[in-house]
Amino acid sequence: MTVRYFSLLLFLCLLSGCMVTRANIGEPIQEDAVARIKKGTTTMNEVVASIGAPDRVVRGNDREIFHYYYYDGKSPALFLLAINFIRMDIKSDNLYVFFSRDGVAEEVVYGNRTTRTQFKLWPFGE
Amino acid sequence: MTARSPLRYLACVMLCVLLLSAACSVRRVTYNETIANEQVQFIRIGQTSLSEVISVIGAPDDVSESDAGFVALYNWSDTKSAAVDFGVLARIFLPYSPTMTLNRAGISLEQFQVIFDPNWRVRAYGFSRRGHEDPVIWFWPF
Repeated sequence: MTVRYFSLLLFLCLLSGCMVTRANIGEPIQEDAVARIKKGTTTMNEVVASIGAPDRVVRGNDREIFHYYYYDGKSPALFLLAINFIRMDIKSDNLYVFFSRDGVAEEVVYGNRTTRTQFKLWPFGE
Repeated sequence: MTARSPLRYLACVMLCVLLLSAACSVRRVTYNETIANEQVQFIRIGQTSLSEVISVIGAPDDVSESDAGFVALYNWSDTKSAAVDFGVLARIFLPYSPTMTLNRAGISLEQFQVIFDPNWRVRAYGFSRRGHEDPVIWFWPF
């Protein structure tokens, strides 16, 4: 028991600080708004009214593509007296809405990764 | 062996670790998840569609148009950085600690690109140049 208490005391002495950081870019994409986009019927105006203006407008295969994105980063840090561990995990969500030449949604592509962003401290391994 | 030996042993070990580690800093930043070669083996040139690619490996991080066609880009990276500050050792003798830091960072940006034809079928695909795997702790800059 004495060794355990001594180890804990030593660890607390070595611990000079810790930090938890959370960083976001953009607004989270609302999945119910994505589900409301119907291929072949939803118009460009309806998409903008529902989700907002796109973060980017790209042109591909002679079509307008609205790109919405959201980034989420989580970063814990542990500052010991002589060694610091800092790790950051960043993931992104992306939504693309492909419009036909007459401005109707043709294809909806949505990928959600930010639910898997983690506060991982240990820098070794995966 | 006396009853205090384990404590002395632990204290000596911790002192050695302190002196040897001399203010190490280990940083790692990961962005998105790695796409492995095995995950894209299903892609067939001229046959696999955009929706099939997305259903397996998810939405791309970026899209653009090139002369070759519509391009979907998947990005990920694993940045590792380690530093050791030998100036901390001067605290034993001096009232301040000068900075004598060796630092090394390995930024590995990787990309998977898929090019689609006007019918949204895969025209070409490939990974960016893959470098070597950097160790997590590697501070020697020379």
